[in-house]
Amino acid sequence: MPVLAIDTSAAVSVALVSETGGRLAARSSGERRRHAESLAPLITQVLDDAGTDRTALTAVVAGTGPAPFTGLRVGLVTARTLALAVGIPVLGVPSLDGLAAQAVSDLGLDPDDEVLVASDARRKEVYWARYRVVAHEGPHGVPVVRTVAGPEVGRAAAVAEAQPGAVAGPATGVAGARAVVVGEGAALYPDVLPLDDDAPLLPDATVLARLALARRDAGLALPTEPLYLRRPDVQEPAPPKSPALG
Amino acid sequence: MTSSGEPLVLGIESSCDETGVALVRGNDLLFDAVASSMEEHARFGGIIPEVASRAHLEAMVPTIERALDEAGVTLSDVDAVAVTAGPGLVGPLTIGTSAAKALSIGLGKPLYGVNHVIGHACVDQLSGGEFPDRVMALVVSGGHSSLLLVDDIATDVTELGSTLDDAAGEAFDKVGRLLGLPYPGGPHVDRLAREGDPTAIRFPRGLTAPKDQERHAYNFSFSGLKTAVARWVEARTDAGKDIPVEDVCASFAEAVADVLTAKTIAACRRHDVDTLVIGGGFSANSQLREMAAKRCAEAGITLRIPPIRHCTDNGAMIAALGSAVVRAGVAPSGLDIPVDSSMPLETITV
Repeated sequence: MPVLAIDTSAAVSVALVSETGGRLAARSSGERRRHAESLAPLITQVLDDAGTDRTALTAVVAGTGPAPFTGLRVGLVTARTLALAVGIPVLGVPSLDGLAAQAVSDLGLDPDDEVLVASDARRKEVYWARYRVVAHEGPHGVPVVRTVAGPEVGRAAAVAEAQPGAVAGPATGVAGARAVVVGEGAALYPDVLPLDDDAPLLPDATVLARLALARRDAGLALPTEPLYLRRPDVQEPAPPKSPALG
Repeated sequence: MTSSGEPLVLGIESSCDETGVALVRGNDLLFDAVASSMEEHARFGGIIPEVASRAHLEAMVPTIERALDEAGVTLSDVDAVAVTAGPGLVGPLTIGTSAAKALSIGLGKPLYGVNHVIGHACVDQLSGGEFPDRVMALVVSGGHSSLLLVDDIATDVTELGSTLDDAAGEAFDKVGRLLGLPYPGGPHVDRLAREGDPTAIRFPRGLTAPKDQERHAYNFSFSGLKTAVARWVEARTDAGKDIPVEDVCASFAEAVADVLTAKTIAACRRHDVDTLVIGGGFSANSQLREMAAKRCAEAGITLRIPPIRHCTDNGAMIAALGSAVVRAGVAPSGLDIPVDSSMPLETITV
């Protein structure tokens, strides 16, 4: 009885994961500007790859960002509507949480180590959040992490300056703990956010699915509200000074 | 003709600031649900695409659920999903097409990406019945002013002309703004126009000069008219005189209605068409309705205008066009269809 997971916070990642956290099928696309074209075909391909009928799905999981708006919404509206059509729950997980959990596995982090996750927010900024490792492996085979700062959006240099312990040497607070930097946002600004060797760069829908299952089983609410972190770019127009064309 | 054996089509519209979902079987509308973010845009004096897109995301699932509830059907009854693929605003269009694709996957039913502007004409089939073999369609709204020759609403539409600059409704909103009326200004201009003298001021009729007959016989231009109104108001203000707002509105509205109806009737005659459909939000305009009724009667043309609730953007127009293309046996769209903000008006489905 599988769950389908979708992340469109950067590229497009789709995975089919069993209720116990096993990966049944996964596909991704490097597409950054055409999420709406690539996502739906990837979903049908993943279902086909696993030989799973849509009616067998038990939940849909979506990465909630933070992320550039249009691509993020493609994943969220797809997840919500697909869940409605099949008659199953939709579960949201912040995409940055997924990268933090990936980092714990990929880099062999231990409890009290810290992860600074940065993704590309465009406009010379990054979306970021900082996590502390709680357990290397928890339920559904997924690491347990706790958010200690963020998610927020800002310039990479400002993030590095405000989170000194996260980017240089040992983690703050706990002697001997590691601090690592991961994510595509760090790869874009390596002079201020030194990316760890072998650090994961993009969210993996498989990890998001496992996080969602673990959190659901722990009784946590998993809203699918988008993490925009920025207001729409709008200015209220000044009233016309004289009867003239606007 | 009964529609009980016809496929049930769910239509989704999200090309601008209205999230619309409707269910249509044959030419019967079961229910049309609309959620609008118009009020959120009012203080900006225009539609902000990002504000509209955020509202579409939040409104989509609740609007689908409401349409199903009110129609008394469930998603398992739906035979096909139709959605606006363009023209319109990219961000808003993306929400509707993504939702429609997800429904198509989740229900295992075909997807049809359709043209918003042609939907504005097709929606008249829900109230006026199936179109005759050949009709003329004038689609006028805040975003569109187009003249379409419709030989088959599902498969054969020819664009005879469109506005070269502002849409008719857009010109009304801009004139409303320069007269200091609240946004959107169109309905206020229309209301004031009914109290004024339409012959008080002779405003220009765009693209009606003999030299325009060859290339622009069926194209429209309202930008020069809007500028003429601004110049007239400015000159009057500079001279220290009051602005007769009702007369300005009436004379302006008269010029718009005159150009739209004159060119449309000429096109009907030229193409030997005896049925005219006027759709789109601007078809609610009083002077356009009156002048079209009068001139169609004189020319022996049957005039069809959908009820006002179907003239603004809604899901019914998309479900209606979806129903027409399904019944015509048109091939479904792929799950990889893009949105097209400037979709050609001869493209009915993608």
